[in-house]
Amino acid sequence: MFLLKISKIWQELTAFGRVGLVILLLLIFMAVAAPYITWQPHNISSGPSLKPPGGAHLLGTDELGVDLWSQICYGARVSLIVGLGTALLAGLGGAIVGTFAGYRGGWTERVLMRLIDIMIVMPDLPVMVILAAFFGSSLRNIIIVLALFSWSHPARIVRAQVLALKEQGYIKMARIYGGGDLYIIFKHLLPELIPILAVSMIRLAGMAIVTEAGLSFLGLGDPTSRSWGLIINHALNFSGIYFTPFWKWWLFYPWLFLTLLITALALLGRDLERIADPRVAKG
Amino acid sequence: MSRNISRLIGVKNISFLMVLSMVGLLLIAGCGGSPETAPAPQTPLAQAEGTGAEDVPRDPVVIRLEGGDWGYCSPFTHYSRGPGIFKMQLIFDSLLERSEDGYVPWLAESWEISDDGKTYLFNLQQGVKWHDGKEMTADDVVFSINYYREYPPVSIFFGGILTDPDYLLEVTAVSDYQVRFVTSEAKATFLPAAGLARIIPRHIWENVDNPHDYLEPEAVIGCGPYRLTDYNKEHGTYRFESFEDYWGIQPRVDVIEFVPVSDTILAFENGEIDLTEIPTDLLSRFQEDPEFAVKVNPGFWGYRLLFNYERIEVFSNKALRQALAYAIDRQDLADKIARGAGTPGNPGILPVHHVWCNPDVPQYAYDLERAKQMLQQEDLTDLSLTLLVGQDREVRIGELLSEQLAKVDIQLRVESVDLQSRDSRIRDGQYELALVGHGGWGGDPDYLRSRFLSELSDWYTGTPGYYNPQVDELGQRQLSETDVNKRKELIFQLQQVLAEDVPEIPLYNTTGYTVYRPDKYDGWMYMFDHHNLTHSKLSFLDWK
Repeated sequence: MFLLKISKIWQELTAFGRVGLVILLLLIFMAVAAPYITWQPHNISSGPSLKPPGGAHLLGTDELGVDLWSQICYGARVSLIVGLGTALLAGLGGAIVGTFAGYRGGWTERVLMRLIDIMIVMPDLPVMVILAAFFGSSLRNIIIVLALFSWSHPARIVRAQVLALKEQGYIKMARIYGGGDLYIIFKHLLPELIPILAVSMIRLAGMAIVTEAGLSFLGLGDPTSRSWGLIINHALNFSGIYFTPFWKWWLFYPWLFLTLLITALALLGRDLERIADPRVAKG
Repeated sequence: MSRNISRLIGVKNISFLMVLSMVGLLLIAGCGGSPETAPAPQTPLAQAEGTGAEDVPRDPVVIRLEGGDWGYCSPFTHYSRGPGIFKMQLIFDSLLERSEDGYVPWLAESWEISDDGKTYLFNLQQGVKWHDGKEMTADDVVFSINYYREYPPVSIFFGGILTDPDYLLEVTAVSDYQVRFVTSEAKATFLPAAGLARIIPRHIWENVDNPHDYLEPEAVIGCGPYRLTDYNKEHGTYRFESFEDYWGIQPRVDVIEFVPVSDTILAFENGEIDLTEIPTDLLSRFQEDPEFAVKVNPGFWGYRLLFNYERIEVFSNKALRQALAYAIDRQDLADKIARGAGTPGNPGILPVHHVWCNPDVPQYAYDLERAKQMLQQEDLTDLSLTLLVGQDREVRIGELLSEQLAKVDIQLRVESVDLQSRDSRIRDGQYELALVGHGGWGGDPDYLRSRFLSELSDWYTGTPGYYNPQVDELGQRQLSETDVNKRKELIFQLQQVLAEDVPEIPLYNTTGYTVYRPDKYDGWMYMFDHHNLTHSKLSFLDWK
């Protein structure tokens, strides 16, 4: 059943979407299997400083002599955890707020919608920089801060969807027959909401990964987490790196993997959006 | 998404964008330029407004250096960092000056110290002119010291003993060219403290009662070799011209200009500025070319590892501190973090380039076996410590230290906070081990006393909880010793004691490289206790 569904989705994907999915799966594999596909330690030096790629060091080493391939594999974990964590947290929170607002209506809706408006117009990056500096830099805090700033988007989408669904005949009928709020939400609304929420969450994941890298790069990430953003941060702090050949591996590879991950998420998200769009689905 | 990343990255380094765009797969378009293809340099200030070239008959020497706002150049309004201090010092002379070898007579042509070391008599140069043509006399010197007591200047050396009324009892003008200072006790640091105080003109400042807000052109009238002819706070530009009636050694550089630059190395290559510091990896680019000369800066900036004796009891165990000194590969730190542009920390605290460094102190060469053995003897296995560090490079130092100490089974957890928090936590003693980096290592060795004296229990400048009677005794004796050679002997002994006792571990001192074009100007020199060529007044004068 599950496999069938997967293969159905696979068939509906465009070529770009398939490439995105494959890349994403590969990167997830890299993160999960990091201990098995690396042969150098990722947190202590294992060779000379700034060795170019080749030999024992597939992608070379950084200035402390730490293997870059290992760092990138383990760093994938950080990026994926941040992406997944933020997407889940913000997606769930947004879904709850959106459903509540759309379903209850009235002043509850008005208050929540104004709150969402405020979150949307608030310049996210400056506030995030302040919050990250204020709460201190740990991975958990970063995820919370990112989620705080990204729940409004799924909330709006979910609310719009709930508003439309609420007027559907079968839902009105269910209520007339005495279906409680929770029953209607879980039985009728949620199944309709999940695909569109999933798409929104993939977008959030992409955004969260880039922002985490950005915060790390600005020196606000968890300095010991060794995420991709932090590798870039260390490389850029190396004075005169563009006058040296070092950027060709130390800066380039983490950037490449970051870009691959974001691109894969974007391609996949675009296709899923097309599949999940209710107008397309129902039409 | 792309908007986010361009904003994020743009903040820090435009050139990063260029790398992104070169590689393709691009999120952002059209920003900045790579180092090789940068936009044309800005027209230097001088060309825009015309230099003093027409006014001076001989070919004038115009030196351009990296700009930036460091405050208005009066002793009360410059910023309290090196670039601000030395710009002010170009205008204002002092009784002594700092050369490559030590203090040299300047406005004071000679001085006598009484036998008890309490009274100083300075004989002043005659015929010294202020920039407005009036003559400088002993009266101005006395006025300057008294004025500083009422209104402390931005930068004052040696903990303000000059402005302490309980220490400096009396300053009097004996004649027009003689000043006498009477102090309550002999202190070796008094001569440099009095000698480096900037002399300000009485006829201007006696009417000023708000020196910190006094920004008139008169505020920058001194008797030094240069006059400030232009200052723009917003652009961070300065222009200094040599003073034609200067009393002393004549300036070799006629005009010094500070111009805004974005990337100093690029600006230097384009000839916009005449001197820059470069990282080790660019050395080969300049070293082989005869057009350039490279100088190795003395290592007077450094990192040290602090022990919190009050919080962690085992730190009072000398064997542990020595074992740590054996287990930390300081050469490795200098090689990896400073890319070789550094000298490993000297256990005697004074860095190897210090004029009074004792080269014969125990060195604690990297020796894991010895460290392990010592730890086992003391039954100090499975130690777990937290190291407080700042950001960026300091995190890297922390990571390397943690890797090194893991080899002797000491768990080191690195805690990184921003620099201000790091400093304030050190000030409050909220740490177990802390990493701190700062300059001033080349200064008067009296800091060996103020840092380790048991009575001084300030967290920021001292070492609370550390007590060594020998250090206390030698520290006090060297301070009251006014005979230079005897004092040097005491400082050597003090270094020996400190190296043996390891009250803290100096990790490494950064040296770094400065490159300039000798054909354009080759008079650059260091001061004996400072690491920057452009901060030395003598660099611009005809000093031999």
